[in-house]
Amino acid sequence: MFSWCCALLLATGFMFIVGFLVVKGYRGINLELIFADTRLLDAFFLKRQVFGGLFPAIIGTLSLILLSIGFALPLGLASGIFLAEYASPRLKSFFSLMVDILAGIPSIVVGLFGFSITIFLHHFFSSQIFPCLLISALSLAFLILPYIIKTTQVAIESLPLQVRLTAPSLGATKLENIIFVLLPSALSDIVSGIVLAIGRCAEDTAVIMLTGVVATAGVPRSVFSNFEALPFYIYYIASEYSNSSELMKGYGAALILLLISAGLFALAHWIKLKIEQKTRFGY
Amino acid sequence: MENNIKIQIRNLWFYYKTISMLEGINVDFPENTITSITGPSGQGKSSFLMTMNRLWQCIDGASVKGEVKINFGNGFEDINHQKYPLPMLRRKVGMVFQTPNPLPMSIFKNIAFPFKLIGEKNQNKTFEKVEYALKKAFLWQEVKNRLTEDAGVLSGGQQQRLCIARALVLEPQVLLLDEPTSSLDEISAEMIEQLLLKLKKKCTIILVSHYMDQVKRIADTKFILSNRQLTLQEE
Ligand SMILES: Nc1ncnc2c1ncn2[C@@H]1O[C@H](COP(=O)(O)OP(=O)(O)OP(=O)(O)O)[C@@H](O)[C@H]1O
Ligand SMILES: [Mg+2]
Repeated sequence: MFSWCCALLLATGFMFIVGFLVVKGYRGINLELIFADTRLLDAFFLKRQVFGGLFPAIIGTLSLILLSIGFALPLGLASGIFLAEYASPRLKSFFSLMVDILAGIPSIVVGLFGFSITIFLHHFFSSQIFPCLLISALSLAFLILPYIIKTTQVAIESLPLQVRLTAPSLGATKLENIIFVLLPSALSDIVSGIVLAIGRCAEDTAVIMLTGVVATAGVPRSVFSNFEALPFYIYYIASEYSNSSELMKGYGAALILLLISAGLFALAHWIKLKIEQKTRFGY
Repeated sequence: MENNIKIQIRNLWFYYKTISMLEGINVDFPENTITSITGPSGQGKSSFLMTMNRLWQCIDGASVKGEVKINFGNGFEDINHQKYPLPMLRRKVGMVFQTPNPLPMSIFKNIAFPFKLIGEKNQNKTFEKVEYALKKAFLWQEVKNRLTEDAGVLSGGQQQRLCIARALVLEPQVLLLDEPTSSLDEISAEMIEQLLLKLKKKCTIILVSHYMDQVKRIADTKFILSNRQLTLQEE
C-alpha cells in the first residue's frame, strides 16, 4: 500500500513537471525559436551562424553529452570490470572508497578543478589553451565516471555464483567469461547507469559554466572553441530575462532539453535491445 | 574384469575460508564406470565434484590441498599443479550443475558455446554436433523449431536436459553430474539413466544423486559423503 502511494506520488510529480513545461513551453517552440531568421539548410551546413536561436545551444549540448560519454564510457566500463573481477580485495576496497568519494564531489567543485587545470595549462604550457568544449567534456566525463564505474562493478558483482561458474566449466577463460556471459548478463543494469550519466551530462550547468560555456558562441567549430548549451541558456534566461517573450524562450529551451534527454535515453535502450538481440538469439 | 583407474585422489582437503568441508579424502575412480555419491544435504558433494575440474578456483574463499590425478591417456597428471591448463582440463571433464544454468544466449548458441571457445569455424560441423547432442539428451524434438530462442524461456526440465547436452557436446572423458535428473519426471529421468549407461562405454561418470533407487539401478560403485569423509557403501 505504502509503495503504491509512493509510485502514485512519483507519477504525479512527473506528470506535473512535464505538464508544466509543456503548457508553458509548447507555444514557445517553433522553428524561429531554434533557428531565428537563418534558413534551415544554411544552419545545418553551418554556412551561416544562427544568432538569437537555440540551434547552437542544442548542438553544443549534444556534442557535450556525446563527447563526455565517449570519454567516460570506455574508461568506466574498464575500471568497473577491473574492480569487479580482477582487483584483489584490498585494492578493491581502496578503489571503491575512492569512487564513492569521487561520486560525492559536487559538480561546482569539479568545474573549479577543470577551470584551475585550464589556467595552469594556459600559464605553463601554451597560451593557446582556453576554456573550451573539450575541457568541459573532460570535466563532465570526470563527473560521471564514478557512476559508470560503480554501476558496472555492482552489476557484475551481483550476478549469482552459478552464472559465473557456467562458462569456466565449459572451458572459457576469465576474459571469455566476462565478454560472453558476465557483461551480457549485466547489460540492463549497466545501461541504466549510462542513462543516469546521460541525464547528468545534459542538465549540468555548474561544470560547464566554469569551463567554456558562453551565452553566444554559435555552433562550436571544433572541440577547442567555446560553445553554447541548453541548461546554461535556461539558467541565463531565468536570471536575466527582460520580457515575457524571452522567458517563453527559456521554457521552450527547457522542453527541448527534456526531449533531447528522452531521445538519448531511447537511443541507449535501443542499442541495448540491439546488443541483446545479437547476443541472445539466433545461431 | 578390473577397469583401469581414471581418477586418483590422495589426501584431498577442501576449505571454504578456514572451514574444512573435506578432510583427507583418498579414493580411486575406475574408467568406464558410474560412481555414485550420496549423502546428506550440505555435506560437500557439489564442492567435491568441483575438485575434479578445479572449478573451485573460480569461487572466492575456496581452497584445496592434496592430489587429484587424472589419466587422460598420457599417464597420471596432477590437475592441481599450478601450471595445468584449465580450459583444456574443463573440456575433458564435463560438468552438469545441480540447478540448470543456461547461458544468456539462444538454445543453439548454448550448445555451440564450447565449440565457439575452441575456435571451431565450420558452421555445418557445429550444427551437426549440436543436433547430435540435443538428440542424445532427448531434447531435440522439443526444441528443433525454436533453436534461435533465448534458452531462458525453456522449462526447468528442458533446461536441465539442455545442460546435459551442452556437457556432452565436446565428448568429455570424465562427466561430473550433480543431480542431473532432479527436475525431470520419471520417464525422462529413466531416459537419462539409459543415456548414462550407454555413455559409460566411453566415459568415466561421477554421479551425485539423492535418489537411492536410481543409484541402485545404474551405479557400479556407491559412496556416501558425510562428516567430511567419503565411505564406500557395501551392498
Ligand atoms: N561459495 C561458498 N562459500 C562458502 N561456503 C559454501 C559455498 N558453497 C557452499 N558452501 C558450504 O559448503 C557446504 C557444502 O556445500 P555443497 O553445495 O558442496 O553441499 P552438497 O553436499 O552439494 O549439498 P546438497 O545436497 O544440498 O546439494 C555447505 O555447508 C555450504 O554452506
Ligand atoms: Mg549440491
